[in-house]
Amino acid sequence: MKLDTPFKLYANCVTVKGFNRSTICDLQRNDVRTIPNDLYDILTNHEGKTINDIKNQYHNEFDDIIDEYFQFLYDNEFIFFTKQTSIFPPLSLKWSDPAIINNSIIDIDKNSSYDVLKVLKQLDDLHCRHLEIRNFDVARVDVLENIFDYLKENESSIQSVEILLPFFKDVEKWIDSAKHKFLRVSFIRVFNCPFNQNIMPSGNTKAYIMYTKQHYESELCCGKISQNFFAANMKAFTESVNHNSCLNKKLSIDKNGNIKNCPSMQKGFGSVNDTQLKDIVTDKDFTKVWSITKDQILVCKDCEFRHICTDCRAYKENPTDEFSKPLKCGYSPYTNEWEDWSINPLKKEAITYYKLQADTEKP
Amino acid sequence: MILLISSKYDVSTNIVIQWLNYYGIVFLRLHTEEFSMLNYFSVSNKSISLTINDINLEAITGIWHRRGRLRNLPNSLNDLGKVTTYLKKEEDSLIKSIETSLRTTKKYIGSYISEIENYKLDHLIAAKECNLNIPDSIVTTSKKGLLDFHSKYDQIISKDLRYAINIKTDDISINSTGTFKVTDELISELDDHFAPIYAQEYIEKEFEIRIFFIEDNLFSMGIFSQQDEQTRVDYRNYNDEIPNRCVPINLPKNIKEQLLDFTRKVKLNTGSIDMIYSIDEHYVFLEVNPMGQFDWLSKNCNYYIEEAIAKEFMEL
Ligand code: SF4
Ligand code: SF4
Repeated sequence: MKLDTPFKLYANCVTVKGFNRSTICDLQRNDVRTIPNDLYDILTNHEGKTINDIKNQYHNEFDDIIDEYFQFLYDNEFIFFTKQTSIFPPLSLKWSDPAIINNSIIDIDKNSSYDVLKVLKQLDDLHCRHLEIRNFDVARVDVLENIFDYLKENESSIQSVEILLPFFKDVEKWIDSAKHKFLRVSFIRVFNCPFNQNIMPSGNTKAYIMYTKQHYESELCCGKISQNFFAANMKAFTESVNHNSCLNKKLSIDKNGNIKNCPSMQKGFGSVNDTQLKDIVTDKDFTKVWSITKDQILVCKDCEFRHICTDCRAYKENPTDEFSKPLKCGYSPYTNEWEDWSINPLKKEAITYYKLQADTEKP
Repeated sequence: MILLISSKYDVSTNIVIQWLNYYGIVFLRLHTEEFSMLNYFSVSNKSISLTINDINLEAITGIWHRRGRLRNLPNSLNDLGKVTTYLKKEEDSLIKSIETSLRTTKKYIGSYISEIENYKLDHLIAAKECNLNIPDSIVTTSKKGLLDFHSKYDQIISKDLRYAINIKTDDISINSTGTFKVTDELISELDDHFAPIYAQEYIEKEFEIRIFFIEDNLFSMGIFSQQDEQTRVDYRNYNDEIPNRCVPINLPKNIKEQLLDFTRKVKLNTGSIDMIYSIDEHYVFLEVNPMGQFDWLSKNCNYYIEEAIAKEFMEL
């Protein structure tokens, strides 16, 4: 600690102010710490000054607290001391991505009859890199195998695939037999299993396989907000500052073959049978939600976690307000407590509106 | 059309390619691991013409030479001992002539020739001529010379002049440790005369600076390694658990100009420069690597260098 040398925050430690408290989001070491708003103000208003100068500014009335604050900052390597304050610019918060669509959710159920490969080909043309395929009612092994084959035989832009499917007899055998086709499959989650087991990637497959007793009823399961999903990294943070942290550059197909932002959204943009994806991605109505940021969303805009948090635009506290807070978030930036959102009486109406079953919807 | 020459495992190349696709820039990628069939490189009174893998490079407007070089020697000729050594030498001169020829007519970023002829002393001298500070350095074959040099400075270090050492025989295995401190004990063990040793004054630093450059664009990053003993001499001795702090730097204008001067002087249009900012408040040039990695620099500083590289080829 140097009391007479100006201090600087490391540029990849970004502060975010909330209603009662703030956070330092460490985008290099993927860490987040809550700090008092007083400290946020010191960091915002006095960066580039010496600790002794700052103490003087507060007429030496808070020396102990200021020492404590700076010890914390120094111990966590959030700050450094230098006379060269002018050569260290703030981090650019630019977010940019070399894809027209960068991720896609594809839902397939027992009645789905749309042409998935036709969708994949079009997603390739849009440079899509990440795919999530979800089966809720039955495992559509036939379709999944077609997808594996497609990814194996084609030089696709898709780099990673996650799959969700329900347990069926001999599912382990099937996974074993299809393994050699898993070229770009990174994660398989089998739910409704009689057991829990995680299998790490091995040999030449990079797929992580998870058997879980958990139950996934339908697309209604999506949209939960939890601390476990917080991501304090450069990509996620800068995307959240500039765009929607769930729906930006996402294009999805619901189980009936309708093109949507995500399968849970009410609004569809035509069926894949007669609509080209490339025509939808230029539709302003479709891309509108991409730019809804957490700084615009009610409650979230007061939340200290807003730029490391995910979002949900399909299930909102007020279903008719596009800027309403995600329904399935139990956090309040006004009390700083996490509660079970599904039993919150104020959310009852919205829960009924979306036909969510409160008892299966644990946070 | 753009030609990319790169290792097929190079992450940065893959990201640049995503950006080329995004901007609709057509490219041809040749891998440095694989045999590239040279149909012909023909030179006559009328014209010079080059066709590789059945593709006439006439249509190529720009080249991004990320690292390594093409292989024009069929794999079947790789195991013939001294014959292979000879054929490789011939191949090497061919590869260099092709590069030189392409450079005269096309935008050519990166260079195999520079990658090979990366002589630290040349660069140190060029940096000095551009008014950049450099550390006092000597190369000596004499124990007395080394002792005299050591006595002038608190501490000195040594490193390779060009090639990181990596020698394996049946009896010995010697690997480069990068930069290391030269202590009195070390010197005392030496004979009176030895192979040339490159030694340099050790300059205590406030932080290190890594600058990736492409044409006139400089992307600078500060690296803070002082709080951690393990990384004190050379940050490339990675400390994996807690990464050193890496933050964007906007260098003072005069340093930027001197650096650009330097890149022109040594005829490099891309590469990575290592500098330090010393505790006595000087910017000091250390070395340049013509094929430096920039992936972590781009990520840590949110610079989108890969996009900038793709854009270099946009108007061609
Ligand atoms: S908007 Fe909500 S329901 Fe849709 S994908 Fe995002 S989190 Fe899931
Ligand atoms: S209020 Fe909830 S959803 Fe909104 S940013 Fe905070 S944690 Fe995330």
